[in-house]
Amino acid sequence: MLRKELIQALREPRMRVLLFLPPLLQCIIFGYAVNLDVDHARIAWMDMDRTPESRDLRDRFEGSGRFDVVAMPANEEEVQRVLDRSQAQAVVRVLPGFARDLARGRAAGVQVLVDGTNSNTASLILSYGGQIIAAYSADAMGRQQNRRVLTRSPGSAVNASAPQVTARSRVWFNPDLYSRNYFVPGVVANIIMMVTLMLTALAIVREKEIGTMEQLMVTPLRPIELMLGKTLPFAAVGLVDVTLVTAVALLVFHVPFNGSFPLMLLCGVLFLMTSLGAGLLLSTISHTQQQAMMSSFFFVMPAFMLSGFAFPIRNMPLVVQYLSYLNPLRYFIEIVRGIFLKGVGVSVLWPQMACLVVYGVTMLTLSALRFHKTLD
Amino acid sequence: MNGNGWAVEMENLVKRFGSFVAVDRVSMQVRKGEILGFLGPNGAGKSTTIRMLCGLLTPTSGRAHVNGFDVGTEPEEIRRSIGYMSQRFSLYDDLTVEENIDFFTGMYNVPRERRAARKDYVLEMANLTERRRALTRTLAGGWKQRLALGCAILHDPPVLFLDEPTSGVDPIARGEFWKLIHDLAETDHTIFVSTHYMDEAEYCGRLALMYRGRVIALGSPAELKRGLTSHSLLHLDSSEPLETMRALERVTGVLDVAVFGGGLHVTVDDVEATSARVRQALAAKGIEVKRLERIEPSMEDVFVAMIEAEERKAA
Amino acid sequence: MSYRRLRAMFVKELHHVTRDARSLALALLTPVMMLLLFGFALSLDVDRIPTLVYDQDQTEASRDLIRQFQGSRFFDIRGFVGNYAAVQGAIDRSRILMAVVIPRDYSQNVGASREAPVQILLDGSDSNTASIALGYAETVVQNYSLELRTDMMNLRGGEHGAPPVDARLRVWYNSSLESKNYVVPGLIAVILMIIASLLTSLTIAREWEMGTMEQLLSTPLRPAEMVLGKMLAYFVVGLTDSTIAVLVGVYVFRVPFRGSVPLLVVSTCVFLFGALFWGIFISAATRTQQKAYQISLLTSFLPAQLLSGFVWSIESMPKAIQVITRAVPARYFVTILKGVFLKGVGLSVLWGELGFLALYAAIVFLLATRKLRQKLA
Repeated sequence: MLRKELIQALREPRMRVLLFLPPLLQCIIFGYAVNLDVDHARIAWMDMDRTPESRDLRDRFEGSGRFDVVAMPANEEEVQRVLDRSQAQAVVRVLPGFARDLARGRAAGVQVLVDGTNSNTASLILSYGGQIIAAYSADAMGRQQNRRVLTRSPGSAVNASAPQVTARSRVWFNPDLYSRNYFVPGVVANIIMMVTLMLTALAIVREKEIGTMEQLMVTPLRPIELMLGKTLPFAAVGLVDVTLVTAVALLVFHVPFNGSFPLMLLCGVLFLMTSLGAGLLLSTISHTQQQAMMSSFFFVMPAFMLSGFAFPIRNMPLVVQYLSYLNPLRYFIEIVRGIFLKGVGVSVLWPQMACLVVYGVTMLTLSALRFHKTLD
Repeated sequence: MNGNGWAVEMENLVKRFGSFVAVDRVSMQVRKGEILGFLGPNGAGKSTTIRMLCGLLTPTSGRAHVNGFDVGTEPEEIRRSIGYMSQRFSLYDDLTVEENIDFFTGMYNVPRERRAARKDYVLEMANLTERRRALTRTLAGGWKQRLALGCAILHDPPVLFLDEPTSGVDPIARGEFWKLIHDLAETDHTIFVSTHYMDEAEYCGRLALMYRGRVIALGSPAELKRGLTSHSLLHLDSSEPLETMRALERVTGVLDVAVFGGGLHVTVDDVEATSARVRQALAAKGIEVKRLERIEPSMEDVFVAMIEAEERKAA
Repeated sequence: MSYRRLRAMFVKELHHVTRDARSLALALLTPVMMLLLFGFALSLDVDRIPTLVYDQDQTEASRDLIRQFQGSRFFDIRGFVGNYAAVQGAIDRSRILMAVVIPRDYSQNVGASREAPVQILLDGSDSNTASIALGYAETVVQNYSLELRTDMMNLRGGEHGAPPVDARLRVWYNSSLESKNYVVPGLIAVILMIIASLLTSLTIAREWEMGTMEQLLSTPLRPAEMVLGKMLAYFVVGLTDSTIAVLVGVYVFRVPFRGSVPLLVVSTCVFLFGALFWGIFISAATRTQQKAYQISLLTSFLPAQLLSGFVWSIESMPKAIQVITRAVPARYFVTILKGVFLKGVGLSVLWGELGFLALYAAIVFLLATRKLRQKLA
């Protein structure tokens, strides 16, 4: 039985491609495309002052590497158009009298208008832009200070010092803050879930739909053998996929891998118990392949999204956070991230592993019982 | 439209799938109102031939016309003028009987004035008038086949192609189905049927026996049976069939021995002489002969004999 | 093109849709599920970052700095610790994301008007949150630094000045910077893409598997009629789904709607056509439902989710991938949706996107029709 399934699954070259391509593609997309960082944000610059000081500010923006000035609107209407058409993500407007106010020690005005339609990048732009302005401000203050000191007591030692608190940051585990290091481990988890759950459910329902299921039931095949025969091949494929993606992650994307690979495989097996069980369960409630596909999507999607893979659990409403404790994918993602980036071992991860075991066993038992029933 | 007047004609029709020749130079002409039966084991090429005539497969070489239209260049016209029942059950399980009929009424563009009448006719014919709202899935095999036949004739096509329409149907339902086919033939419909049930061959006007892509015999059932002129068939019931078989092997004049039911069918060249020799041989072995008489060959016998002749030719 | 045959095909597909109650229910519930997911549960907004403080200085000056963090809505000080091991452990176990470490000589440096560094430690595994958290932390420190300097200057100079540059920051279109406002409009594109591909990708493959395709091919039915008839049936479902999505988005999630309804309707229809035709094309190109489903997931759903700009902005992607996104129809629809919902712009701005969607639909229709040859072999 096992052999038949494996052979069936692997025989068609197209099928083989489909088993291994989506994980790889996901890996690539998440590794390269999904990048939440902001570099070279397009901004429009409206200089209503046109003084060396305002040009200095502009140089700082452009020199930071985070901003590119792509437009210079001349009036309100153009500003509106630039933002409406998304030609730029933000408009920096230096108000008239900027340099003069600075010289006189009055508050000089700079306006930053950000396109909030993408609130994530908007926050980042505000944050970076704010920092550049703050730094400019601090320097301006330094110069002002010097001037004042000089005017008060010309000739005295220029003691232009004032306290300056600076932040020295150190980022652990992902020092360059590459998004891919954050996502790719999650992709590993997603693959196992997708392959095992969905394909298992489909494989079983397909037999039901085509009618070969009855044929199987007439043979001396025992239910448990049928179950194993249907699930184990996909388990094997899932583990192979994991290894494949991990290899790609390490070799192509240089995602750090600081933990133990055998541990990850072990946890993969634990997680498999749950997703295979879920796949089996789904197959018992679906009559047609279409139903199996739609319901597997309906359940896998939220499980996946609420697992902390791309969106932090911390940001979710409390109710949902509590619910996520019921999501085995959450624990597996924590484990995978821990192994990849943090290099931790069983001593730290044992609570998650224990949860996985509990879920796995429960899910398998439940679905096995139900599977038995439906075969009768 | 060519003027020959044949309902269906084929000339050296060939279909190759890669190196496998499924249909090997098939030629025949079918008159209007005929019931032509396509007999043969699975894989003989029956379905492939029918599919070519319906425009579902492109012939590798050769020509064919259905209702005067060329299968290679005028598939559209052919589709409009034929009815087809495919081998696999091909109606929609999750639609009701009525909905299936309505669907095919639309597919064949049955004119508005005739729609209701045709629908009623088909429901009548399939005996499903009371069950018009039932889901097709709930019907038993025989009913489904009649419904499928009905859907194929909604537009009253002059030519019908039925690919193994009775497979999986119980014998009584099969008989009734053939009655329907006869009724249709009587109203000038040409019917092309394929089957692997030998007993159904008797129902057909003419038969084409197919084996390994070739038509090895073509004619009415009576003609084909008479074709076995060189041989006669004896039916032998004895007390020990196995022993009998072995004994008969050495009797001159015995051409073939086959098990048939509880007894044996013995093919012989000369009835009188060989029967006597058979009785002698068996008596010598002490085997009791319960019955030994000449019988009319059934289609199955004819067919088996022909196939063996083919095999001998090939060898 | 025969209207009757088209209609018969449409009616039959509609029967299939309504008879499979489970699939239909799932089809109608999926948008609700996704809206709840993305509108309610998922967000990339960053605030209340769990932080630990390790104050090695323990003076009024250091406490003053700590108060800056405490007062900010972005940081949630979870505790004070006395050693690095505690910090390490907490970060390892993902109990905190950030730690502020104030060195022993902090107050001395401040008093002596020297540079007074403060250490910020971050868990980089969630790079997005970490980047933003870093930005906020640096801003807090910088502002505090500026304040200190201003105060010091004023003390010396006797004036009450303010920081020289007054940065006024304003956000357009989504002033509360609520991610749901920006996610929900784009989500509609993703939802429709999912439904469209899930439903249609199976339809032709199923006819092949069940054997009814052969029967259909022997009838006068034309490929274009089959494609169009099937598409229209699922179009009904798709339109229902989009109405549900828009209504829930506007009335439950209170996403602003500033644009024109007719434009929304037209672009939704055009997008749906394209998405449905694509699904049908895939179905026609494969003979089994399983393969059709996987291919449609790969080519419809994944690109729509990841490459359309609905959550992860296209500008941040590498140039090569940005080019690829130009082939993803969902990208254009997301632009239209954001434009209509948040920016209130009209055809004059969005005509390019709408044009692409129309072209795409036409091309895929032709592809699907051609793929559906009227022969078995």
